[in-house]
Amino acid sequence: MAELQDIDFTLEYPYTRTTGPIIGPFLTGLRDGRILATKVGDRVICPPLEYDPDTGATVGPENLVEVGPAGEVTGWTWVTRPTSKHPFEHPFAFAQIKLDGADTTMLHVVDAGSEDAMSTGMRVVVRFRSERLGTINDVYFVPGDEPPEAPEVDDDAEPVTITEHLIGVRIREPLQPHRRRFAEGLLAGKIIGQRSPADGKVHVPSRGYDATNRVPMTSEHDVEVADVGTVTSFTEIVPVQYHGQTETEPYIRCSVLLDGADTTVGGIDIRDISVEDFRVGMRLQMVWRDSGDRMGDLDNRGYGLNEEVYERWEPTGEPDVDPESLKEHNF
Amino acid sequence: MARPCAVVGIGQTKYKRRRDDLSLDGLVREAALRALEDAEVSFADIDAVVLGKAPDALEGVIMPELSLADALGAVGKPIHRVHTAGSVGASTAISAAVLVESGRYDTVLTVTYEKQSEGNATWALSGGKSGGQGAGGTFAPWIREYIRRSGAPEHIGWQVAVKDRLNALKNEYAHLHLDDISIEAVKQSPMLWDPLHFLESCPSSDGAAAMVLSCEDFASRSPNPPAWILGHAKRTEFSSFPGRDTVKPQAGVDCSAALYKEVGITDPRRQIDTAELYVPFSWYEPMWLEGHLIAPEGEGWKMTDEGATALDGDFPVNCSGGVLSSNPIGASGMIRCLEAANQVRGTAGEYQVDGARVALGHAYGGAAQYFAMWIVSSELDPVFS
Repeated sequence: MAELQDIDFTLEYPYTRTTGPIIGPFLTGLRDGRILATKVGDRVICPPLEYDPDTGATVGPENLVEVGPAGEVTGWTWVTRPTSKHPFEHPFAFAQIKLDGADTTMLHVVDAGSEDAMSTGMRVVVRFRSERLGTINDVYFVPGDEPPEAPEVDDDAEPVTITEHLIGVRIREPLQPHRRRFAEGLLAGKIIGQRSPADGKVHVPSRGYDATNRVPMTSEHDVEVADVGTVTSFTEIVPVQYHGQTETEPYIRCSVLLDGADTTVGGIDIRDISVEDFRVGMRLQMVWRDSGDRMGDLDNRGYGLNEEVYERWEPTGEPDVDPESLKEHNF
Repeated sequence: MARPCAVVGIGQTKYKRRRDDLSLDGLVREAALRALEDAEVSFADIDAVVLGKAPDALEGVIMPELSLADALGAVGKPIHRVHTAGSVGASTAISAAVLVESGRYDTVLTVTYEKQSEGNATWALSGGKSGGQGAGGTFAPWIREYIRRSGAPEHIGWQVAVKDRLNALKNEYAHLHLDDISIEAVKQSPMLWDPLHFLESCPSSDGAAAMVLSCEDFASRSPNPPAWILGHAKRTEFSSFPGRDTVKPQAGVDCSAALYKEVGITDPRRQIDTAELYVPFSWYEPMWLEGHLIAPEGEGWKMTDEGATALDGDFPVNCSGGVLSSNPIGASGMIRCLEAANQVRGTAGEYQVDGARVALGHAYGGAAQYFAMWIVSSELDPVFS
C-alpha cells in the first residue's frame, strides 16, 4: 500500500507585466546601457515612477533623465547562501544605492566578493551583463568608480513593453489528522466520513468540524459510507488551456451523494459515459483501483476524493432517484 | 442612524482583454484620476483610500494595497484593502461608504481593479493544478438545476447573452462590442460548460473602476449630481453544507431582504427603476431576479422572456452591458454599483433609463456565497409608494 506523504506542492505561474510609459523605458534603458530616472519638481527619482510619490500627480516620459553610472551605498545586507531565485550563485550584497544625479535610492545587488568589502557610504558602479533582456537583472554593481565599458546594443531591438516572471511559492505542510484518516481510508478501500454530534448529518469528505453547527469532530465521529451513490449535479467541461493544465478533451465533472452521506463528494470526473446518457439522479458505483495501484496524494482542502484511488465510476443500472429529492445536495 | 453618503465622482478605464499600454499602477490611476476629475477634487482632498480586488493569485502581486498606495495618492493617509472574491467590487464600495457614514472621514476614494491578462483566472481558481473547472464549471450544474426547477425554456440564456451585448454597444467602456450578436450566434457558439455556451459567458478583462464618496455637506455642493446611497447590505454563507441551496442561496435572499427593509422598499420590481446585477453567465439574470426577491420563485425567466429586463422594459437590468460584456473581476462588482449611480445621476449616456430615480447595484462571489448590494437614488429621502 502506498505511503502517505506530507504535502509538498509548488504553486507557480509565469505571470506577465505590461510596463507602461515609464517602467518600459527604464527597462529598455538597462538593456541598452543606461539608467533612467524621473525628474519630479526638484527631485530626481530612481527607479522612476509614473507619478509624484508625494502628491500622486502624473509624471510623463518627458521627465525621464539619465543618472549614474556610479553611486553611493546608503545601506546593505550580505547574502551568504543565495537561493535559485537570486541573481548570483555566490554570496553578494543587497544594497540601497543612491546613484549620482538621483535623490532617492534603488535596491540592487553588489558583487563585492566578500562582506568585508561592503560598507555604508562606499562607492559602487554599474556593470552590464553580456546577455540583457530588459529586466532589472540586466545590471549589477561592483565596488569603485570605474565606468563600465559601453555594452553592445542592438539598435533594431523593440522597446520593452511586457515582461514575464515565473512567480511561485512552495507549500509544505503535514496532512491534518482528519484528512490523514480520510486518505488512509481511501488507500485501504474505504470512504471515511464524519457524523456530526450536533445533528447526525454525515460529512464526506469532512473538514474535521461541522461548519453549520460550529462543533469539532474527532476520530470518534468517523463513519464509513458506501462507495455507491447518486449523481446530484454535473457539467461537461471543455478544458481551458493554462500553465500546468494536462486535460485536453471534454469530460464530465459531477458531484455524487454517497449512500450514508449528507454532503456530496465533488470533482468526480467521468470519462467513459457520454453526456447525453448522463443524468442527475443516476446511480453510480465507484470501481476501485487494485490496492497496490492506489496513490496517497491528497491535500488538506477540497471536496473530492483522490482520483488516483479509483479506476472509474459505472452506472449500477438501478432506477434513477427523483431529482426533486436531491435539491439540497446540488453543490 | 448613520449620516448620509453619496457618490460624487465616477471613473472607469476602457475594459480590454489586455491593457498593454499601461502598467498596473497606470491602470488604477486611470480610473482614480477620472473619478477625481468627475468630482472636481484632487488627491489632496481625499481623507482615506479603500482598494479592492479579487485573489492576489490572479496577477501574482501579493498585497497590492501596499505597492499601489503611493500611486493612489495615499501617502500619509489610511488605505484599506477589501477581498471577498468576485463580489469584492461591491463590498469595497460598501466599505468605503461605511467610512463616510460613520463620520470618520468626509471624502473617500475607492478603487477596484483586475489585470486578468497578467495571469490566468482558471489557473488561479484551480489552485494551480490541472483539471480546473473555472467559474463556469462551478456554476453550470446549478444553472441546470435552476432550469429543471423552473421549467424555463433554453432560449432564456441566449436572450440574456444578446440583450447585454446589445446594451454594451451603447457603452464606450465595455470590453465586448459584438456588432453581429444574435440568438443564432449564441446558440451556435461552442458549448463550454454544458449547458453554457461560449457566448453566454463573461470575457476576461483588464480594467479598473473608481468612485469618490462624500458626506452630505460636500455632496450637496458637488459640481455634478450626487447619487445618494440609501442603503447597503452584505451577507455570506459557507460554500458547501448539508441542506445548502446553491440555486437560491439563503445568504442572497437575506441580503436583499435586509437591504429593501433598510431602504423602505416593499415591492422591488415596481419601486426600483433599474438594476445592475452581477451576471457573469447568462442564466444568472433570472436566477438573481428570483434569488433577490425581485421576481417570485420560478418566474424570473418570464421577466427576461417578456422583455421586462431590456433597456426599454419595466425593470431594465444591466443597461451598461454587465459582466457579460466586461469582466475585470475585482472591479466588476464596483462597476455594477457605479453604473447604478450613473443611472440615478443621469450620466449613463446612450444607455440611460429615462427618469431613473432609484437603482440597485449587486455583486456575488465565491461559490455564490458572498453577496454585496446597494441602492442609490437621485433623492436623499425618496418616498416609496
